[in-house]
Amino acid sequence: MEKVLCIDDDLSLLRLYQEELVEEGYKVVLAKDGKEGLAKFEKEKPHVVVMDIRMPVMDGIETLTAMLGKDRQVPVILNTAYPQYKENFMTWGAEAYVVKSSDLTELKQKIRDILDKRKKMGSQKE
Amino acid sequence: MAERILAMVLAGGKGERLYPLTQDRAKPAVPFGGIYRIIDFTLSNCLNSGVRRIDLLTQYKSLSLNRHIFQGWNIFNPQLDEFINLIPAQQRVGEDWYLGTADAIYQNIYVLQQDRPDLILILSGDHIYKMNYREMIAYHLEKKADLTAAVIEMDKSLSPQFGVLQVDEEFRIIGFEEKPKVPKTIPGYPQLILANMGVYVFNTEILARRVIEDAKDRDSQHDFGRNVIPAMVGQDRVFAYSFQDENRKQAKYWRDIGTLDAYYEASMDLVAVDPQFNLYDSNWPIRTYYPPLPPAKTVFEEHGSNRVGVSFSSIVSSGCIISGGRVYRSILSPNVRIHSYSEVQDSILMEGVEVGRGARVRRAIIDKRIRIPAGFQIGFNLEEDARKFNLTQSGVVVISKGTILA
Repeated sequence: MEKVLCIDDDLSLLRLYQEELVEEGYKVVLAKDGKEGLAKFEKEKPHVVVMDIRMPVMDGIETLTAMLGKDRQVPVILNTAYPQYKENFMTWGAEAYVVKSSDLTELKQKIRDILDKRKKMGSQKE
Repeated sequence: MAERILAMVLAGGKGERLYPLTQDRAKPAVPFGGIYRIIDFTLSNCLNSGVRRIDLLTQYKSLSLNRHIFQGWNIFNPQLDEFINLIPAQQRVGEDWYLGTADAIYQNIYVLQQDRPDLILILSGDHIYKMNYREMIAYHLEKKADLTAAVIEMDKSLSPQFGVLQVDEEFRIIGFEEKPKVPKTIPGYPQLILANMGVYVFNTEILARRVIEDAKDRDSQHDFGRNVIPAMVGQDRVFAYSFQDENRKQAKYWRDIGTLDAYYEASMDLVAVDPQFNLYDSNWPIRTYYPPLPPAKTVFEEHGSNRVGVSFSSIVSSGCIISGGRVYRSILSPNVRIHSYSEVQDSILMEGVEVGRGARVRRAIIDKRIRIPAGFQIGFNLEEDARKFNLTQSGVVVISKGTILA
């Protein structure tokens, strides 16, 4: 089953993501900050990461940098309420940037696109 | 010019083909021309071009380079927003050393994010040339380019040694080949190619975008010449800039001191009557670290006994004493001692070398603080020298640092 890791310090949002993404047929793993997210990233080896930027302990940019250090092709979707982070070069290593919204259509679509793209790349290599 | 410019100098080159001169130092720290290090030429270009915001990216064997920068280049004023930063490979992004020139920038994206300059000047710390980067930057702006790469015309027979750029009539880059055997020549000049000098002006955002893309490409070698520029051709505005030499000589001078023989030749050019590379141009001073040394001195003129201290066609740095020996067509770095009845010809003697009484040295590179014992001969029996020392292809003997001669 395709596995999605969601990292956000807003626990109600995490619960919403879990419900919605499980419904889409994904296995969902949750983490409440970047540090916990990084640990789960290494343990669970998710297919896609959905991550907030403003978080306590370790923010999303720092966490993204650390993840890229493990795997430069790591598929991370940055999911934040602040579009202005888009200007930051350090966010450009993410696969996608989705501004938070109560409507999860865009986020779900990005997750699907990334997984489909990876599958295609994987089958091309074989 | 109101553009905010940051120079990023790639100074991590191992310089494997310069071994053993790079045994204990990175290539940019290799001494050159008596008192200089190779890095001084690029940094002097920056200074003479008014580029005073410099990040120096280092990695291998950087102690010698760091020391030189602290001693000689601690001249920038932070209050005027000037600086020279030494940035070692910090492994902020993973545990790799720099995988290539583009990767060195990728791993320092956070530096660009903090500084947010308009333009980035990417330079190599191991080339010898004089270039006014401001003219290249003006050209970059005029062309509204995303990337401008400096090129130098070369005979097409040299193409297997260089990255060769193909341009249209407006000098827009339309192709790039690394070390081709059959190169694309300049339109209208079938004998000439445009060789990539490894000097780039980038718009900062494009640079960040393209090196991140490159970092994510598993098949890339993460090199500007091989990967990033070819990927940009066709999608970005990429132009070639024909190198304008500030050396004020006929032939444009640019050397990548790639091999020991190239190092030897470029050094020996300096002691020619009319060198190709002019160190004496007061409009283009080359800065370096120069310790407070006494002047060079020659002693003894006992012509009858041949105990004569003298030098011909040579560079003799401060602190040297030529005491009763003879020096021909050679480069003496600071604090070299030449003792009585000895003879040095066509050689490069680095700092603190001592040539003992009656010793003879011919066509050799002698690294720092080597003591050549009395009566010792170097360069007169190459077969024997080859067994004990390094010998270049053209037969120059290289004695590495720390060697004990007896």
